[in-house]
Amino acid sequence: MADVLESMFFLEGLSEAAEPPPDAETVTVHLTFTGNPPGCFQMRLACPAALTIAADFLGEDAESLTAQQSTDVTLELANMICGAVLSRTESSASFRLDTPQIVPQGTGQHVPDEKTRYTVETGSGTLTVAIQMETPICLPTERYAS
Amino acid sequence: MAYRVLITDDSPAMRSFVRRVIELSGFELSACFEAGDGAEALAVLKNEWVDAILTDINMPGVDGEELLRRLAADELLRGIPTIVISTDATENRIARLMALGARGYVTKPFRPETLRAELERSLGVPGD
Repeated sequence: MADVLESMFFLEGLSEAAEPPPDAETVTVHLTFTGNPPGCFQMRLACPAALTIAADFLGEDAESLTAQQSTDVTLELANMICGAVLSRTESSASFRLDTPQIVPQGTGQHVPDEKTRYTVETGSGTLTVAIQMETPICLPTERYAS
Repeated sequence: MAYRVLITDDSPAMRSFVRRVIELSGFELSACFEAGDGAEALAVLKNEWVDAILTDINMPGVDGEELLRRLAADELLRGIPTIVISTDATENRIARLMALGARGYVTKPFRPETLRAELERSLGVPGD
């Protein structure tokens, strides 16, 4: 994850952090992957961090970004982190990432296993990722489609 | 020498990023076209000649694999170097896409110098 954030989003000096409380202002992305292994990935990003990361990624001022641009970059970030993790842990496997989906606020969020969770402080808020492979309880993305 | 490049990705954010990274890397662009999927890319190529194509794999509609197949089947377009940019770094996928005709493969995350090096290698640009 650090590699993705440093190479593509120009974030450095990341440090492990505590996960924010459930009621914190965050944007959550859910992504399923099929193939070998199947599973799901979830990313939860503090709203100020989402804006800062989008601005850095696009090379624009945070004030000038549209909500759509911020969302697009957040979805791309989830896609990249999930793909990077899967490629490194299962380099000889084959998988296909489905389209990442924003989880609407207030929706019951499926949270993968505790052991797979990781949170970092980005400098403008926390970023938590969780990945679960071969999970029979992973909800289909259609549930989150807006 | 400056080059004409086509960036194919369903994410507008990613297309903007790739274009910016190419410019930041010092690679000279004389024109940069964008397409949201393989069908749009082929439509651009009907009207514009490009020196290189950068493409994502997973896209709705005509995806990166199908784009490579269609380019390979076209006598005029098969010679254009195509570089795949993807999060998928699995050996099977890379081997399949190279067999379909991809000239290069860059896995995300990547640094600007990596993309520039792959562009130059694919285009046969002499190194510094």
